[in-house]
Amino acid sequence: MTRFIGGKLAQYGLVLFLTVTLNFLLPRAMPGSPLSFLAGEEVGTLTTQERERLLREVGLDRPLHEQYVSYLGDLARGDLGYSYQRQRPIGEVLVERIPWTLLLTGLALLLSTGLGLVFGAIAAWRRGTRTDFASLAVFIFLESLPGFWLAMILIAVFAVELRLLPTFGARDLYAGLTGIAYWLDVARHLVLPVTTLTLITVSATFLTMRASMLAILGSEFVMVARGKGLSERAVVFRHAVPNAILPVATVFLLNLGQAVAGATVIETVFSYPGVGRLMYEAVLARDYPMLQGGFLVITVSVLIGNMIADLAYPILDPRVVRRD
Amino acid sequence: MTDPAAAKARYGLGLGVVGTSGLVLLSAIVLTALLAPVVAPYDPRETTGRPFEAPSGAHLLGTNDIGQDILSELIWGARVSLAIGALAATVGVSLGTGLGVVSGYFGRRIDALIMRTADVVLVVPFLPLMIVLAAYVGPSVVSLAIVIGALVWARPARVVRSLVLSQRNLDFVTAARSLGARDTRILRLCIFPAVVSLALAEFVQLASRAILLEAALAFLGLGDPVQKSWGSVLFYAQARGALMSAAWVWWVLPPGLLITATVVGIALVGFGVERVFTPRLRAR
Repeated sequence: MTRFIGGKLAQYGLVLFLTVTLNFLLPRAMPGSPLSFLAGEEVGTLTTQERERLLREVGLDRPLHEQYVSYLGDLARGDLGYSYQRQRPIGEVLVERIPWTLLLTGLALLLSTGLGLVFGAIAAWRRGTRTDFASLAVFIFLESLPGFWLAMILIAVFAVELRLLPTFGARDLYAGLTGIAYWLDVARHLVLPVTTLTLITVSATFLTMRASMLAILGSEFVMVARGKGLSERAVVFRHAVPNAILPVATVFLLNLGQAVAGATVIETVFSYPGVGRLMYEAVLARDYPMLQGGFLVITVSVLIGNMIADLAYPILDPRVVRRD
Repeated sequence: MTDPAAAKARYGLGLGVVGTSGLVLLSAIVLTALLAPVVAPYDPRETTGRPFEAPSGAHLLGTNDIGQDILSELIWGARVSLAIGALAATVGVSLGTGLGVVSGYFGRRIDALIMRTADVVLVVPFLPLMIVLAAYVGPSVVSLAIVIGALVWARPARVVRSLVLSQRNLDFVTAARSLGARDTRILRLCIFPAVVSLALAEFVQLASRAILLEAALAFLGLGDPVQKSWGSVLFYAQARGALMSAAWVWWVLPPGLLITATVVGIALVGFGVERVFTPRLRAR
C-alpha cells in the first residue's frame, strides 16, 4: 500500500516537474524573441535601449540555469508571474476565477454521474431490449457531439429564440442583486452551461455503469439472490447496483480532477468567468504568462484530484490493498 | 460457421448492419470532401453574394459575414477536418504502436521508460496543454495534426504493449527464436500481423477524437486561418454574432451536424471493425 502511494506520488511529482519545465522552456525555445512571449507583443516597437532594460528586468540576460532557478523560486513563493494583458498578478486573477469553474463543473459532474448511474443500470438490467438499444444509441450520439456546438445550439434555442434564460455570464452585473435574488440569478445563468457539460460528459459514466452492471448481473451471488426468491427489485437495487458502482466511482474521482480543466470550450461559449474562459482570453490576447499560469493551476488541480482518487479507492474497495 | 450470429455478421463486408451503415455515412462524407472541386457550387474564398444572405436557390445555406457561400465552405472544410483527423490519428497510432511494440517486446528499462512516459501523458490535462502548445506552435493544418497526434499515443501504446506481451511467449514465437530468427524477423513475421488489427481499431478511435479536438481548437481561434475547417466556420459564426439572429439555423446547425455525423459514422465503423477482429464477441 505504502509502495503504491509512493509510486503514485513520484509519478505526480514528475508530471508537476515536467509541466513547470515545459512552461519555463516554451517561451524561451520558440522561434522569435522570448521577450515578446513574456512581456507582450509591443516590445517590437521599443528602442534597443528600452529592450535591453526590459530584458534585464525580466532576467532574460542571465544564463538559462539561473533563470530556471529563479523561476522555480518565484513559483515556490506562489508568484505565477504578471499578466501584461490585465496588468495584474496572475495568481490574483486565477483566485477570482476558480470558484466559478468549480461551481459549474461540480454541478455538472454530480448530475452526469447520477444520470449515468441510473440509465446505465436500467440499460444493463433491460439488456438486449429496445430500452437498452435506444439508450445506447442516445448516449453514443451524445458522446459524438462537439460540446461547444451543443452549447451554441442551446443558446440559440433557449436564450435567443425562446428568451427563457440568459445568454452569457455567471450573474447579472448591473442589477445589483443581493441575498436570495442574487443566488436565483446565479442559478439561472448556470442552467445552460451545466446542461451542456452534463450532456457531453454523461456517456462515460453510462457506458461504465452499463458494462459493470452486466458483469455483476451475470455473477453467482446475483444468481443466489434470485435463487433464494428475492424480488427482482431487491436483486437489482440492493445487490447488483451497490456492487456495480465501484468502477463508476473511479470514473467520478478521475473526473473530479479534470473538472477544472474540462470546461474550457463551454465556458468560452457562455462567456462564463471561469478558468477555461480565462485561457481563451489569454489565447486571443496572446498573453502567454497568463496562459501558462492557467495551465499550471489546472495541472495541479488534476493532480490533486487524482491523488484523492488514489487515496479514496482503497477505502471504497478494500480488495485493492490486499493485491499489493 | 454454423453459428447464426457469425453468419449474420458476414454480410456487408462482414461489418454487420451497424458497421455497414457507419461505412455508408462515412463514405458519403469522404466522397463529398474528395469531390469538393466538382460538388461545391462556389469557391469558398470568393465573395459570391451579399453578406449575411438567408438561404436561397443561389446559396442553399446562405452566405457568411463577407458574402462567401456557406455550403461551399462546409464542403471544402470537410477536407481540412478529415485530413487533420486522419493525419493526427496516423501520427498517434504510429507512435503508439511503435512504442508499444518496443516496450512489450524488449521489456526491462526501455519498457519502464516508455510506460512511465505514457502515464505522465495520460495525467496531464489534455485540452489546456493543447491550447498552450497550439498557441506557441502556431496554427497550421500540419502542426495541429502533429500536436494532437503527439498527445494521444499513450492509450494505443498501452493496448499494443499488452498484446505484444501475450504474443511474445506463444509457442510459435519461441520456436522461431530457437531456430535462430533475429528480433527484426520475429517482429516482422510474428508480432506485427497480430498488432495490425488492434492498431486499426485504435486508429478509428483516435480519428474521431482528433476530429472533435480539432473542431474545439479551431473554435477557440487556434485553427489554420487559411484552411477553414468545420470548427473554423463555427468560430466565425460565433464571432460574427450568428447566434443572435435567425442565421444560426443555416450557419451554426449544419457544421455541427456534419462533425457529429462524421464522429458517429467513425464510431459505427469502429463497432464493425471490432466485430471482425474479435470473433469472440460475435457469438454473444
